[in-house]
Amino acid sequence: MGLMKSHFGSHIGLSWKINNEGADIVSSDFPALTMASGPYNYSYIFKYIIIGDMGVGKSCLLHQFTEKKFMADCPHTIGVEFGTRIIEVSGQKIKLQIWDTAGQERFRAVTRSYYRGAAGALMVYDITRRSTYNHLSSWLTDARNLTNPNTVIFLIGNKCDLEAQRDVTYEEAKQFADENGLMFLECSAKTGENVEEAFLDTARKIYQNIQDGSLDLNAAESGVQHKPSTPRSALSTDQTQNKEGCSC
Amino acid sequence: MEVVYPGHVKLTDKEKTNICYLSFPDSNSGCMGDTQFHFRIRRCPGRRSVVQAHTDYNKDCPAALQSVVLLSKLPFVTLYNYIVSVIAPEYFDNGEPCLEAACHDIDQWPDPCPGETLNLPIMGTVVQVRLPSRSDKVLTSPQIKNPSVPTMPANNILPSVSEVDVYSAFLPVLPHIQMLWELVLIGEPLVVMANSPTICSGTVQALVSTIWPFKYCMDFRPYFTIHDSEFREYTTKTQAPPAVILGVTNPFFAKTLQHWPHVLRIGELAVSSPKTINKLKKVGTIKTLDSKPGYPDKEASGGSECNALKRYLLELTQSFMIPLERYVASLMPLQRNISPHKGPPRLKSFDTEAFLKTIEHSGPQLTSGLKGDWIALYRRFFRSGNFEGWLRFRQEEVNQKLQALHLEVLCQADLLTWIQDKQEVEIVDLILRLREKLAKINENQLPVSNDMLSRLQHHHDMIVCSLPEDLQSVLKSNHGN
Repeated sequence: MGLMKSHFGSHIGLSWKINNEGADIVSSDFPALTMASGPYNYSYIFKYIIIGDMGVGKSCLLHQFTEKKFMADCPHTIGVEFGTRIIEVSGQKIKLQIWDTAGQERFRAVTRSYYRGAAGALMVYDITRRSTYNHLSSWLTDARNLTNPNTVIFLIGNKCDLEAQRDVTYEEAKQFADENGLMFLECSAKTGENVEEAFLDTARKIYQNIQDGSLDLNAAESGVQHKPSTPRSALSTDQTQNKEGCSC
Repeated sequence: MEVVYPGHVKLTDKEKTNICYLSFPDSNSGCMGDTQFHFRIRRCPGRRSVVQAHTDYNKDCPAALQSVVLLSKLPFVTLYNYIVSVIAPEYFDNGEPCLEAACHDIDQWPDPCPGETLNLPIMGTVVQVRLPSRSDKVLTSPQIKNPSVPTMPANNILPSVSEVDVYSAFLPVLPHIQMLWELVLIGEPLVVMANSPTICSGTVQALVSTIWPFKYCMDFRPYFTIHDSEFREYTTKTQAPPAVILGVTNPFFAKTLQHWPHVLRIGELAVSSPKTINKLKKVGTIKTLDSKPGYPDKEASGGSECNALKRYLLELTQSFMIPLERYVASLMPLQRNISPHKGPPRLKSFDTEAFLKTIEHSGPQLTSGLKGDWIALYRRFFRSGNFEGWLRFRQEEVNQKLQALHLEVLCQADLLTWIQDKQEVEIVDLILRLREKLAKINENQLPVSNDMLSRLQHHHDMIVCSLPEDLQSVLKSNHGN
């Protein structure tokens, strides 16, 4: 399970205030003027994967979540695309590392590494195309077989803005989700409806699993490598550097 | 509007209306013969910047009042005024073909690049100008020195593209120069009333230049008329006057803007008898510094009076600026806090109160002989757009520098050893961060050498190669597709 206490997590306890990691690119945090010297300001990295048939809107969901924009005419994903965003759950900064996988059948054979170490899986179908819903069981089988039992799987019925063309009822999908122990929401990557909720609810569930111990960061075979959590002061990073023989 | 060159340029109706009104006298008073001036307009939404226009109109025959207007986004006032003075007489004599010829010449101009000397062909002559650069020494006469430029016979060498003759502009109001400097610095609403667009546009341009090397960050309109689309917005009495500088000629403004705190009147015969005609109306006590009488100090000036005035203004601005710069320097993070495994450090936030403490012992009173309430002046400055603009620029500059330093450290770090005991997800995180840096360098957002770029790329590739094969192929398929 690729969820981990980030190497730098222990810094966060000291009160660094940073808006988000991307701020140094856009410098848009003026005039808040709350800049501070920045360690990576996240204590966990969660790996997410987004799976589902071609054309259900996986890349658009990712784009809506990371850029808060709808991407019309999105090209087919080849292999994998990455998106990142730092979110906050219970006061903890968490960096989501989201793997947007290709939905095309020909890529399915090479996707083992996509699943490896995923803390969350967003499984997407298109509410206007029943075939994408019918394939869910096969996607779910892959997800179950190739991830850890604790991986949080979230079912997303996308394109809920196209109510007139609906081909799968909410109730039917809800029942499928309940039967399989999945979280579920209908979303629209176009309008943004419920998109934040899906990504954030998944993170909350993962974080809750860490808190209540059901997700054991120390379990070696789960793929989770627990990072030594000795508190580090700013000085200890210098030691780290020296240890690494970094001759700067 | 008779003709627009080049033909593909699209102006909105609002822009056209503004340009038309601004290209002609705003009142019946005063203008005789050819008149040359410049103005600025707001571009319509979606086309955000402000456009400078330079106009030359020919008023020999009032029934056939004609204007030649040059529009540009660049603030090269002096250059464009010169160009218009070359094009306009030709146009008035020979009509449209000379505009086509002029546009053809301008098409050949190289892209502007700071610090470069350009030879610009226009209507059979060549104008040589040097574009200013931030590394220019303050107040040296511009040096044309760039032997790599193919030598063309330059008929005209302009000493500067944008510097205005502050001395002539301020001659009528020299006794008030320090107060004007304060008003511009703290972004007070200010209106210049003059008899001609030439005078008001020149004065407004001179005003915004007084605080150089600060950039005046609010709107200013060297020539503003009652027909301007922002007329209502800027003259409203329901809100406090906006922080803008306006140049006007229409006497109507005397009434419309009577609620404005600062009005600068410049009479036509001002040069000969300044005291009687020019006055600066001020409401309240804005002025915070005591002024020494008799500026500029002519004895101190080595060169012309204009240079003396420029030096005086520059010294004033620098006295004000140096403590700010010194304080910003103290906000820099320490070199040892730059780690390859942390984000780039950033400039600490600007704390105005902490800054004001520093000037008690090392304020501008040390470098400027002026006594007065400098702290009050700083406080007003902090509320102005000039401070905001200056600080944002400095932050961007410093943070970019810090990112470059951080990159250097990252390049030198032994990342391959570091990743040995790291999990896949964290290594992928490192790879994504490296890619983000590489992308930024490639978009020229970070000033780093090619050597550093290739080292960073090498780091990236080595890390990818150290990963399991299936992940490698995933990452490779993702990169560069």
